[in-house]
Amino acid sequence: MLTLFDLVIRSMRKNIKHYYLYFFALIFSVVLYFVFATLQYDSAVVEGAGQSMRFAAAFKVAGILLIIIAGVFIIYANAIFLKRRSREIGLYQLIGLNKGAVARLLIIENTILSAGALVIGIAIGMLVSRVFLLLLMKLVGHDGFIALSFSTAAVIQTAVVFVAIILLTSVQMLYTVYRNTLLGLFNAEKKGEHPKKPRTAISSILALLGVGLIGFGYWLSGNMLNDLIFFNMLAVLASTILGTYLVFRVTISWLLYQIRTRKQGHLGLNNSLSIASLMHRMKGNANSLTIITVLSAMTLAMLGGSYSLYYSTEKETRYVMPFDFMFEEESSIWFDRYDLSVQDFEKGLKENGIDYTTETIELLDVGGTYEKGVFPAFLGQMEGLYNASIVNAEQLQKAGLQMETPKNGTLIFHSASLGTVAKDTKIPFKIYVASGDKERVFTAVKFGEGDVVNASFGPQLVVNDADFTEYKRMMHPENEVRNVQVFTITNKDQLALASEIRHKNKDEETWSYGFDYYSMYESSIQSNGLLIFIAGFLGLVFLISTGSILYFKQMTEAEQEKQSYATLRQLGFTVKDIMRGIMRKQVFVFGLPLMIGLLHSIFAIKAASFLFMSDITIPASIAMGVYGLIYLMFAVLTVGYYRKTVKAAL
Amino acid sequence: MKETYTMGKTVLHAQNVRKSYGTRGNVQQVLKGIDLRVNKGEFVGIMGPSGAGKTTLLNVLATIDRASAGAILIDGDDISKMKDAKLSAFRRDKLGFIFQDYNLLDTLTVKENILLPISLGKVKKKEAEQRFTEIATILGIEEIAHKYPHEISGGQKQRTSAARALINEPSMVFADEPTGALDSKSASSLLNTMEDVNKQRGVTIMMVTHDAVASSYCSRVVFLKDGTIYSELYRGDKTRQAFFQDILKVQGVLGGDNVDAL
Repeated sequence: MLTLFDLVIRSMRKNIKHYYLYFFALIFSVVLYFVFATLQYDSAVVEGAGQSMRFAAAFKVAGILLIIIAGVFIIYANAIFLKRRSREIGLYQLIGLNKGAVARLLIIENTILSAGALVIGIAIGMLVSRVFLLLLMKLVGHDGFIALSFSTAAVIQTAVVFVAIILLTSVQMLYTVYRNTLLGLFNAEKKGEHPKKPRTAISSILALLGVGLIGFGYWLSGNMLNDLIFFNMLAVLASTILGTYLVFRVTISWLLYQIRTRKQGHLGLNNSLSIASLMHRMKGNANSLTIITVLSAMTLAMLGGSYSLYYSTEKETRYVMPFDFMFEEESSIWFDRYDLSVQDFEKGLKENGIDYTTETIELLDVGGTYEKGVFPAFLGQMEGLYNASIVNAEQLQKAGLQMETPKNGTLIFHSASLGTVAKDTKIPFKIYVASGDKERVFTAVKFGEGDVVNASFGPQLVVNDADFTEYKRMMHPENEVRNVQVFTITNKDQLALASEIRHKNKDEETWSYGFDYYSMYESSIQSNGLLIFIAGFLGLVFLISTGSILYFKQMTEAEQEKQSYATLRQLGFTVKDIMRGIMRKQVFVFGLPLMIGLLHSIFAIKAASFLFMSDITIPASIAMGVYGLIYLMFAVLTVGYYRKTVKAAL
Repeated sequence: MKETYTMGKTVLHAQNVRKSYGTRGNVQQVLKGIDLRVNKGEFVGIMGPSGAGKTTLLNVLATIDRASAGAILIDGDDISKMKDAKLSAFRRDKLGFIFQDYNLLDTLTVKENILLPISLGKVKKKEAEQRFTEIATILGIEEIAHKYPHEISGGQKQRTSAARALINEPSMVFADEPTGALDSKSASSLLNTMEDVNKQRGVTIMMVTHDAVASSYCSRVVFLKDGTIYSELYRGDKTRQAFFQDILKVQGVLGGDNVDAL
């Protein structure tokens, strides 16, 4: 007597070829989720997070995203898997098993498979989570010994999430069994659309519209910094996504159709295997290619952006903290009460054998107005000049800043916070500096990089010594002259120690402000490191999911076209001839989403580049290059699978 | 290997061809030494009961499968010694195929399917177009040139398949049960066309069939039994009816599986 369970075991053994695809998808999702959960609960990470709640919050959001990606991926893989097996499902019903029994059979299989994947996935996850933890700690600049403890909570959380996903896939199986007719099941694998002649007028309009929408989205993304910025962002998104869909749904088929018509039947082998095959399935593929493209673009933008942040942390910190340390004389600000005095700091440095240079810089606090219409409208009516300081270029040069000396009557405009938007501001422009009843006009001839003193609240107007002395002399007595003392540590390796000395009075209650490069760098690298880790992790998950989906889809297509390959080989085409055509098809299947996704992300990053003070071309290109390389590996795998199929066809 | 041509007219010459399947200890001999000579312009039918080795013989002669032993010469070239790549090129240049289930590419139109074998560039577009028009006219499929296989009938599909087999002007066409999936009207129409092509264009055809009606169109029928040639019938000047009766007689002696067809 053959029980249902025996049947399950037999069918699983026989179907191992189909299963492994789904099985790997499951294991892969479990591993990544488990790693993530482990990190989330890990004491080293929790401690590393320190006072900030950022770690926990970021992990939580990323965790939810991860569940969504894993869920969609598994359901998608299951759908492909079910489609491949639909004939078998039909066969069971044909030989007299009722639908209930078939459903039970599938669900038992699914449970065994998923339980196995869960156990294997968690085991692998335990092995690799240490690697990920080390990576995370390295990225946030934490060194020292890290012990990774086994986390029961992580195991439970992973199990709960995946049991839920497995329930969903079981529902999916029930649906397949109950909602399909026998005939439908038997023909499911053969199902492909037949290319129709596109209605030329409408198609060509839609085809152009798709390209037009994307173009409009790109254009708008470069011109959205105005009062309607939020609305513009939505419009960019909507127009680009709709455009992408139209490109995949209409434009490409339309183009392929044009090429094919022009060939008048003389299609050739390469085109027969690429263009014809693509046209045959474009309709069914349009949705998934659109989703893959849009999500690739998002991932790429996210990766490019966060890697750029991480990459330029040092530079961006230097923009706001040009000197290693800075003290302000006679400061009356409350938080300095507990703070270290300059004398104690210098003493501390000497005691610890740290070489340094120090200079005093004068800042003349001024107000005034800008020439009308210099700054973009969305910054509001930026005509007033507030919290500005006039600084002497000579003093800065003496303190060790590399900078040129402006001519009489001109100034170099420095502002780290304005710097990013000011990049496109026209130069030169006039600045009217108030001084009591009089007004002095300067011409700003250049935007300087970043700030020239640490933690400045407003723009700094760097002038030459003569202008500085003159202005100081005639300055209204109400305007304050602030003296700041800046320190430069000779050996940058001692910065950490110096920073410790600087903040030695700091405790939980009081927090010394300290105009200090190193502590700002440390906290930036921590948050940027966390950001790049999470972005990278999600990016990896996403990349592998989309790559696998394309791979699975192509695997199914290869199976469906097996007979064609057999015919072609009988007709006398070699494996090499056939593979040439297939590779051309893969260039479309993998290349198109990657190319369009890259293009989208380039424009997205360009649009967001106002967030960065430094140039991010290099880091963004590196991130995109790595993404593209991993993505290409899936194309190589796919071609390998095709080659195997073509070879075995005859 | 020395080869004597009969006035240079031999297209295919099989010498002691053997084919066995299976691994050591469980070897099954399907072809047990076949000697066969086909002259230019012949229309040879291969008949025999199921399991006699008809399709295996066709596949081996058509270079789709390799013989275990023996020599096969087509146009003087020994195909049993050729490497795979050369065999592919040989198939493309010299042979044509018609299959029982048509084996058309679903994704291509009729015309694209037919032009496929000459698509690797050796034939100029203008000449290809000319050949296509000529063959499509003979086979009566010009009307459906731009239709897809799913839009046409079985008979039309087989005509398309036949046109594809002829487009490269092969030395020899191999047909494996070409009428097997057709209704009798389409079948006789296709066979008439094949006969015309054979007679008027001098195309050499070898056709495997289990259908006595189909083989009565041939100029010669070779009967296989248990992997060897059992007997041969030449049509000569006989009418098709008379030839058909002869074939039936041999089939009866052979104990073939298809004596019921008329």
